[in-house]
Amino acid sequence: MRTKTLWLWLALLVTSLALVAAGCGGDDDEAAGTGATTEESGGNEAAEQVITVNWGTEPPSLDPGLASDVTSANILFNIMDPLVKLDEDLKPVPAAAESVETSEDGKTVTYVLRDDLKWTNGDPVTAQDFEYSWKRTVSPELAADYAYQFYGIVGAQEYNSCDPKKDDCAALADKMGVKALDDKTLEVKLTSAQPWFVQQSAHHSFIAVHKATVDKFGDKWTEAANIVTNGPFKLENWEHSSAIDLVKWDEWRDAASVKLTRVNGRMIEDGTTAVQAFEAGEVDVLETLPPDETARLKETPEYEKYTALGTYYHGFNVESITDVKQRRAMALAIPRQSLIDNIAQADQIPATGMTPEGMPGYDAINPASPWLPAEGDMEQAKQLMSEVANPKKSITLYINDAPGHREIAVGIQAAWEELGIESTIKQQEFQQYLEFLGPPPNKDVDVYRLGWIGDFVDAINFLELWTCESGNNSTNYCNKEYDALIEKARATEDNDARYEIYGQAEEILFGENGDMPIIPFYYYTYQGLERESIKESFDRNLLDQVDLTKVVVTE
Amino acid sequence: MSVTDAREEALATEPGSAPASGAPIRQTNLWKDAWRRYVRNRAATLAGVVFVVVLLYCLVAPILSPYDPNKINFTIASQTPTLDHPFGTDKFGRDLFTRTALGGRVSILIGFGATLAILLIGVVYGSISGFVGGRLDNGLMRFLDALYGLPYLPFAIITLQIIGRTDMWTMMIALSIASWFTTARIVRGQVLSLKENDYVRAAKAVGARWYRILGRHLLPNTLGVLIIAIFLELPGVILGEAFLSFIGLGISPPDASWGAMAQEGRTVFRSHPTAIIVPSVAIATLVLCANFVADGLRDALDPRTRET
Amino acid sequence: MLKFIVRRIFWTIPVLLVVIFLTFTMMRQIGGNPFRQSERAVTEATQRNLEAKFHVNDPWYLQYAHYVKGVATFDLGPSLVVRGRDVNDIVATHFPTSIQLGLFAFLFAIVLGVPLGMIAALRHNTWVDYSAMFFSNVFHAVPSFLIATLLIYFVALKAGWFPTSGWTSWEHKVLPSIALGFGPMALFARLVRGTMLETLQQDYVRTAKAKGLRYRRVVGLHVLRNSLIPVVTAAGPLLGFIITGSFVIELIFNIPGIGQQFVDSVFNRDYSVVMGLTVLLSVIVIVANLVVDILYGILDPRTRDVRA
Repeated sequence: MRTKTLWLWLALLVTSLALVAAGCGGDDDEAAGTGATTEESGGNEAAEQVITVNWGTEPPSLDPGLASDVTSANILFNIMDPLVKLDEDLKPVPAAAESVETSEDGKTVTYVLRDDLKWTNGDPVTAQDFEYSWKRTVSPELAADYAYQFYGIVGAQEYNSCDPKKDDCAALADKMGVKALDDKTLEVKLTSAQPWFVQQSAHHSFIAVHKATVDKFGDKWTEAANIVTNGPFKLENWEHSSAIDLVKWDEWRDAASVKLTRVNGRMIEDGTTAVQAFEAGEVDVLETLPPDETARLKETPEYEKYTALGTYYHGFNVESITDVKQRRAMALAIPRQSLIDNIAQADQIPATGMTPEGMPGYDAINPASPWLPAEGDMEQAKQLMSEVANPKKSITLYINDAPGHREIAVGIQAAWEELGIESTIKQQEFQQYLEFLGPPPNKDVDVYRLGWIGDFVDAINFLELWTCESGNNSTNYCNKEYDALIEKARATEDNDARYEIYGQAEEILFGENGDMPIIPFYYYTYQGLERESIKESFDRNLLDQVDLTKVVVTE
Repeated sequence: MSVTDAREEALATEPGSAPASGAPIRQTNLWKDAWRRYVRNRAATLAGVVFVVVLLYCLVAPILSPYDPNKINFTIASQTPTLDHPFGTDKFGRDLFTRTALGGRVSILIGFGATLAILLIGVVYGSISGFVGGRLDNGLMRFLDALYGLPYLPFAIITLQIIGRTDMWTMMIALSIASWFTTARIVRGQVLSLKENDYVRAAKAVGARWYRILGRHLLPNTLGVLIIAIFLELPGVILGEAFLSFIGLGISPPDASWGAMAQEGRTVFRSHPTAIIVPSVAIATLVLCANFVADGLRDALDPRTRET
Repeated sequence: MLKFIVRRIFWTIPVLLVVIFLTFTMMRQIGGNPFRQSERAVTEATQRNLEAKFHVNDPWYLQYAHYVKGVATFDLGPSLVVRGRDVNDIVATHFPTSIQLGLFAFLFAIVLGVPLGMIAALRHNTWVDYSAMFFSNVFHAVPSFLIATLLIYFVALKAGWFPTSGWTSWEHKVLPSIALGFGPMALFARLVRGTMLETLQQDYVRTAKAKGLRYRRVVGLHVLRNSLIPVVTAAGPLLGFIITGSFVIELIFNIPGIGQQFVDSVFNRDYSVVMGLTVLLSVIVIVANLVVDILYGILDPRTRDVRA
């Protein structure tokens, strides 16, 4: 049951998010943010508090139930008012909720809403709105990607899995454990004690929608002309694939603290075009940079870098490259530092394990793999390769077609050629690629590239990928011992004890006797350009979220 | 010489305007005449020479070059042109002079391959339709009318996605699959008009078999048109390949076509403009030459339009 | 004439059915899961719910019939990926943009290309002619991505005269239209020059001149009219090409047109959007050809009977 494990790990992680990650990750973030900006602090507030951002792409949906990507989530958090919000340290703080209480047995969570909440059309925001919204997201009719976020609630999974032809879905909906006791009180019944649930409810899928609007406009309720919101900004204009403009909503409960009066948003997908738009002064913020331009842009005062929580890796099909010595040799052969410096160029950190730096407990978890020296070790690689009984000398390296991957693949190809391995690079469009990788992967795949960006701040989010049943494990790698460790970690509440287990799991993958099902390549960084007038107040957290209410334009 | 667009002028040579002169007996003279006429056209001659030079460069440069086109050396990355590297180096420190030649091989091979495929399908379809005539002709032509509605680039993209990989072969398929319609029409027109020629009728009258008529009389007479057609189609195909590569559907690295090199070059345009200019100019040169050669060939092979 | 037009319009129906069928069949061959848009695996329940919602598991003939019915009632169905948007919405937002871009490019091409060709013809064999032809040949050959890149760098970024990207005010529309219109402009210049030279040699023009009719009048009335015929012929396919072929320009200038939408949808496996856009593009190509045939009939009455 894939769905079950999904929420299990989610749960665990979010816990750790609350308890641990906050401090650790937050510090890193802070360091990256303030280090670069302190010198120009102290500017006066500009008279015109307007910025233009680049959303990067058309958000697939601004329906909190359907949105499943960073762009949509980022916009939603700025136009809607979630029950709880994550602060800079990623700790949950009440937002639309005045208070949150968890019962003694941990199985009931009660949210009490503030008195001063309303929708942009003047209606009050009620607990019934939340009940309706959550059930809507879970409903099979909506078919939401993130329905599984609610599986910790009594009856949610049953409702989500109901077949309208066979089951009585309405009855199942009634049984789901979320209920508005009165206008202000929302009671949630959980299947078990889940101390992480409150943090989890900061996820954008828990945001309420305005029922009358949804009923009236159906699928079209998110259009700018129809939408009713309740957050610090209003959606003023949505020209599809072109612009999303927000304006400050003066009647929001905390409008006094919001400085920006207007946020214009473009959607420039192509990296080169976006940089040109920034340099021409058409946008004030870029959140991604094309790798080829990084070297030049790094020298500009607008350049900004943030810690990210992600790992870029190349996976082996272990049924094709069966000899662990060959896998180790292929890992050793790659001069990753040099490829990062010359190609990726965003100061990514050469990975020495799966769990990225910045993750709570990183020092305890990281295996410091002997097979992953930053500059590679061609001598040892050749030595190892010569010991391989039946080496696979001709392989296919699959990548998805996006800027940067091809260049890195070309670098790897050259290194492996020196090792005596002839590799063919094949690239596919992302959709096709994902299907191609399975799991199980297509037979033609020997090595493939992918990355993983954390959903929440706990190492299990990364390590869970390599279990036998994982829907994201395209390596064919399956190690019962490893799976057992992951299961054990799930049941371990104490952080240090859990980190130790994570460490053992990493050791199985990358240690002295590690199986090397993948080559962790580097840990991601976020980089971007920010106009100096907002650089100080503009911040992205570990999960790549931007709180526009904090942004101030200085002179 | 009349300078007109490739495909359109080709279209205009539908029924009636075929090089109807002469029976096959005078073939040798015909070609000699054509050659003389071609050489007299200075622009076309120059274009032909440049075309051959570009071909030779693509063929020979990688063999003579002291550089391994795929060897990565970051210490000499992104250099501007020098004596050692006449076109500079790319971001991997690979010699662009060598790589442009290799990219040219790919582009030109894809160009000729797809062009030949287009002609082959077009000739088969068109000559069957024209030669057999009657109901089959009618049906085939109506079907062709339907295909004319297919937008060519979208279908090339979908085709590439169906095959799921991009190499030279799949590129050729993608580029030819929705672009042979015009050729088929031209060929049908040619065959139709030739069919009514006296010498074909005469051949029929003396009881010659259809394949003999086709092989001995009809095809040789369409040869000139076909040669022109190659050079007419080539620029479109090469530009098509460049566009596909540019939107990210190019062939797999480390191989590269000019289109793929241009796409890579655009991202580094600000710091290293040669990387896009070199392959783009290469494409432009080839297309320009092909256009002039086609014009020259048409004037040379089709006496009707001869300059007076 | 009317009969001819009516027949041509009726003929588009089977053509469209074929196009729909081909696209439909081809799209079904493409691998990929439209419901998985990121690395994250989709849960079984979600996948099942989505498949049920969009009927993607129905037998193919049911889907096809359903789709044809949709097209007949101008309902192209919902997008599978961009939730909450119908293909109709997508067409309504992006299509006008592409049409606008295409028309502006086309206008640019005509307004500059036709006079250029005329001047070149009237000043035949002078430096004016030579330089006009040199430039139009070169511009016809240079790929539009290089022109676009150079325009953005020099005119938008360095000089700051126009914005670098987007499609909102008229300033935004200038550079993309020029970049897209350059090739066709050069083509028009060459076409007009070619036919004009031919026409100027015709007997009736010489006679008119000899008769002492004012040169200007002769040129204006007869020559121009005749010279425009090939322009019109070229215009149809070209208009289709400009609109469908603007993919690269839309990408570089970040223009929210159907080109970019199409490429994204193919990559995202948004089957219904790809289908809808392909059908639409086909309609454009078909209509463009139809309009040309009609215009052609008006300009050159001889063709009417033949084609009807």
